[in-house]
Amino acid sequence: MSHFACAWVPCFAAAAFERAEPALVDRPLVIVRGTPPVARVAEASAAAREHRIAPGMTETEARARCPLLVVRPWSDARVDSARHALLEAALTVSPRVEDGGPGLVHVDVAGLGRLVGDARAIADRLVRQVSAVGLSARVGIAQSRVAARLAAQGGPRLTVVPSGGERALLAAVPLSALELGRELIDTFRGWGVRTLGELAGLPRRSLGDRLGAAGLRAHDLALGLDRDPFRVHVPEPYWEEMLGLEWEIVSLDALAAVIERVLERLTTRLAVVHVSADAVDLELTLASGTMHQRAIALAYPTRDVRLILTLIRLDLETHPPPAAVVGVTLRARPAVARPTPAELWQPPAPAHRDLASLLTRLTALVGAGNLGAAALVDSHRPDAFTLGPFTGAAPSDPAVRADAAGEPDPRMMLRRAEPPLAVSVETGDGRPRWLTSEGTRARVLACAGPWRISGEWWDTRAWARDEWDVLLSDTRLCRLAHDRLANHWHLVGLYD
Amino acid sequence: MRPAELVVEGGITEIFGRASSGRTSMLVACLREVTRRGAVAALVDTDHVFDPSGAARAGVELSRVLWVRCGRRPDRALRAADLLVRCPGFALVALDTGALTPRVSLAEAYRLKLAVRRARTALVIVTRHRLVASGAALALETSRRGCEWAGPRPAPTRLEGAGSAVAVVRARGGAVDWRPGSVHLAWWNA
Repeated sequence: MSHFACAWVPCFAAAAFERAEPALVDRPLVIVRGTPPVARVAEASAAAREHRIAPGMTETEARARCPLLVVRPWSDARVDSARHALLEAALTVSPRVEDGGPGLVHVDVAGLGRLVGDARAIADRLVRQVSAVGLSARVGIAQSRVAARLAAQGGPRLTVVPSGGERALLAAVPLSALELGRELIDTFRGWGVRTLGELAGLPRRSLGDRLGAAGLRAHDLALGLDRDPFRVHVPEPYWEEMLGLEWEIVSLDALAAVIERVLERLTTRLAVVHVSADAVDLELTLASGTMHQRAIALAYPTRDVRLILTLIRLDLETHPPPAAVVGVTLRARPAVARPTPAELWQPPAPAHRDLASLLTRLTALVGAGNLGAAALVDSHRPDAFTLGPFTGAAPSDPAVRADAAGEPDPRMMLRRAEPPLAVSVETGDGRPRWLTSEGTRARVLACAGPWRISGEWWDTRAWARDEWDVLLSDTRLCRLAHDRLANHWHLVGLYD
Repeated sequence: MRPAELVVEGGITEIFGRASSGRTSMLVACLREVTRRGAVAALVDTDHVFDPSGAARAGVELSRVLWVRCGRRPDRALRAADLLVRCPGFALVALDTGALTPRVSLAEAYRLKLAVRRARTALVIVTRHRLVASGAALALETSRRGCEWAGPRPAPTRLEGAGSAVAVVRARGGAVDWRPGSVHLAWWNA
């Protein structure tokens, strides 16, 4: 039989701030959002509510009601921290925990009787664990999550709903206690239904006919039944390894040896759960008291110590720490590595780890913009291409593979001049006769053209040119272009 | 002449000659040959002269070619080629030295030769003059043998193609199909 506990921390945001600043406990405290003078109260502590301060009120109004009021601006970090603390406390009682939202956690306590004791002992333990992380919770235990939650929210510090007593407990609870949506609640109010007991008394079939699935769900909740799946909270693992040093390291070789030890520990942990690192964060504690942080992105998920160490080393060579190192911390961002087997008759390609290392070295040598796999772009411009990341994989577009599968004749290639070289051309009868470039003058022995091309005339980058293939007296065979917009000649490239 | 014969596994092939003699066309034919059979190649381009659209038309699978542009720095090009030949898995590493032929000492050429042999890759060098001398398994000198024009004379409208004469200067090691001193003819369509 299912059995659930619900731990609820009233005024959760205020409790999160009291947890971070214990001196605020029992003092009237409000958490505000927005900037003065339009800052509004987002949450008020129990002490503040005694002064009739409520969320939604302006800060000025709240201060007017309580001159000793303590005001703090909203902090997501503090609230998230308290939320995680609440979940971790619940996980010490049961491994099946559901995050119900800020300040609310559902715990599956079925089967804990022999381990902990009866329901009251379980509830007592949950209260103590939550209290240990600096929060004060009310706990309800019932056979369904909704009943446990409403028992925690409406009852004393510990409420155990006896088996079958859910309906009686919920009978007097107002409709607004359930999160049904404003439209549905207005409908029920229009029918004269004010409490969950009255809602539970409505005929189920008629409710389904009139309101559909939403009506049936509301009826179930009013009866204390949970149909929603239990979404188990799985805490994210914390992949971090660190090593504090009793001496100062100034050389990269010595530092690499230390990093290798830390890295081995980290990758061993990753290997146990069959995940790999997608990126590695390196944090060096310096003798000057500051930190030197580097993020090393990996080309593919891996836990290869040699590869990661090489990448870290290369990164530190270009970004060395400004002072001696006294501590090393490594964090891995894990990812599931999906191995992709090569095709059966595929020639061997560079191993991933070798390729990643090679690309890093080449990038350091020639720059990131000068390295990759070329890809053609859909353009009329004959020299248009993009340079994308190189993976060595086959083209994904089947049309590209089909084109390559043909048997084209051997083609004469053009060695493109980048950028095109400005030249001086003398013409006769509309055809090039003499070419002067870089101080040399050559006679045109033969030429073919013009091939008139243009593009992007609809844009500010319009271009239009006549292209000529010419054979020069110095044996060069080249392509010339006459820019018709600028009236310039340039050398596109040499045939070779 | 078949492009596959130019790709000597574990050896260096040098293609040298004047401009417009067909060196780049031979190199692209090698790239096509390698990428067509699913292998991976790398091209070290010193002067940024590679024409991707022309190579794609010639049948090269561009996604299988790692293109490294060296900003007209021959020293960087040599360093990049050295890194590439030490990475196993590339069936072909092509080095285009551009307009200027860099200086390579005998010791450097020997180390390059050993690295190529160890990685069992093929290094094809396109250059103006010979670069690695005795380090090459195959050295070919190219020269142009005429070109054809299409269209009515005396004003033809299209370059139809050009021919190359490929003289074998050196053939050692794996390049057993080539005899030094022999001359082979090749034709390239425009």
